[in-house]
This record gives sequence, C-alpha cells and structure tokens, in this order.
Amino acid sequence: MEMEAHTDRLSLAFAALADPTRRAILARLASGEADVSELMKPFALSQPTISKHLMVLERAGLVVRGRDAQRRPRTLVAVPLKEVADWVEPFRRFWERKLSSLDDYLKVMQKKK
Amino acid sequence: MNNAGEFSVTTPTDRQIVMTRSFDAPRELVFEAWTKAEHVAQWWDPSGVPLTVCEIDLRVGGTFRWINIINGMESPFTGTYREIVPPERLVFSSGPESAATLIFSESSGKTTLKMILECASKEDRDALLQMRVDAGAARTLENLAAYLQQIG
Repeated sequence: MEMEAHTDRLSLAFAALADPTRRAILARLASGEADVSELMKPFALSQPTISKHLMVLERAGLVVRGRDAQRRPRTLVAVPLKEVADWVEPFRRFWERKLSSLDDYLKVMQKKK
Repeated sequence: MNNAGEFSVTTPTDRQIVMTRSFDAPRELVFEAWTKAEHVAQWWDPSGVPLTVCEIDLRVGGTFRWINIINGMESPFTGTYREIVPPERLVFSSGPESAATLIFSESSGKTTLKMILECASKEDRDALLQMRVDAGAARTLENLAAYLQQIG
C-alpha cells in the first residue's frame, strides 16, 4: 500500500514495520547483509515482490543499499528496533490461545469428575 | 510459580523458546490432557472445533498426529515421543529442527507447565518464532479443505 501522504520518518517506519514479511526481512538482515536473490530464498515470493518490500524499507530509512553494482546488498540500518519481543507477538498469541483453551478444557474435565 | 492464567514466553538462549503457564488442576490431569487423544482433540484448536485427526501412540518412539483439516490455517502438528514420565515430564521431537520438553510441576493443587522448545540452530528457532509455515504444506491443507467442501 502506498503511503505517499505520510512524509514524516516515523510514520514511514511504522508503515514499513506493519507488514510481517518486511519484519522477517529485517530479521534476516540483522544476521548480515543480503542481496535480493538471497532474500528471496526464505520466502516463497517473487523478485518484484521482494524488491517492492525493500523499497518500502529503504524509504523508511530502515535499510540501505550497498555500492556493489552487481549485487546491491541491503544492510540493516542501526535503528534501535525493539528486541525479539515485538516479532514474537503472533507466536505468543498462537500459544496463549492454545493454553487458554487447555485451561477451559481442564475446568470441564474437573466438573465431570 | 505463576498465578493461574499468566503466560510467559522467553528466549533464554539463541536456540530456545521457553513458555510457562499455570493451571488450576492437578498435574495428573494436565498430563492426561496432553497425552490422551480424546482430550487433545477437544482443546488443541482454540476455536473449539474438535480435531479431524488426533492420533497418539504414547510410547518412546511412538508418534502423534494432530490435524485440523477444516481450519486449514494451521499446519498439522506431528512428532515422535522421546521421553514419557507421567505425570511430570514429556519430551517429543517435532520435525528435524526442534525438540519440546514439557515439565509439569504441582504446588497446592495448581500445576505449572514449562515448555522448552530446543532448536538445532538460531535460524530454526527464529523461524519457529516468526511462524514461518512451510508454504507447500499450507497450500496442501487449503486445497484439501476446498475439496472436502466440494464433496461434503
């Protein structure tokens, strides 16, 4: 989604981080620079799609493009992103719901005994 | 010990995910809920739909298969049991990249469940945290769900 109306950096950064694929790209870049073909590998996405995501990340100032004319590797800019905590959210929710379901079921189990 | 209902996720090492939650139930019951198919089928899907497939071969080297085909959004959960010590410990591997250790400890009728997911590498651990579902498996499940709707 194009966010042309938002010109301030913070809004661009929030918009960039709002997408789980882009968060995963950032996670990958946290381990070291990578070019587009390397970034395509972990996601079953086409090159144009990855490039579009990278463009959003670059416009938000989270990623910079390297000078190697052939590879154009992307590097993560040292923005103080919060720890793994934020990216854990879907995982956390997934298990929280399961164990909450177990909690409800245990109550039913005990009523029957 | 947590209060019942408190859920925590931590990553104490590069390769681990540790989750903790307490329940208002004796650990024999919590252990049973995890190891008997008729129970797992009822609670594994939080939406309340009983599992379509729920198989448990509870022995060391035995396998389990928990599948919610109707949903299609969730990958099948399958694995092999490595250690079974009722009512305190259950260890199983799930896929080549991770092993799960479930520790059930009880105090005053309340059970604390500690789940330690141990991965082969930081990359595998992070992939687990980021919920990277194998794209092929997800598509297969979607197709199956659509097919079942057609013939059903």
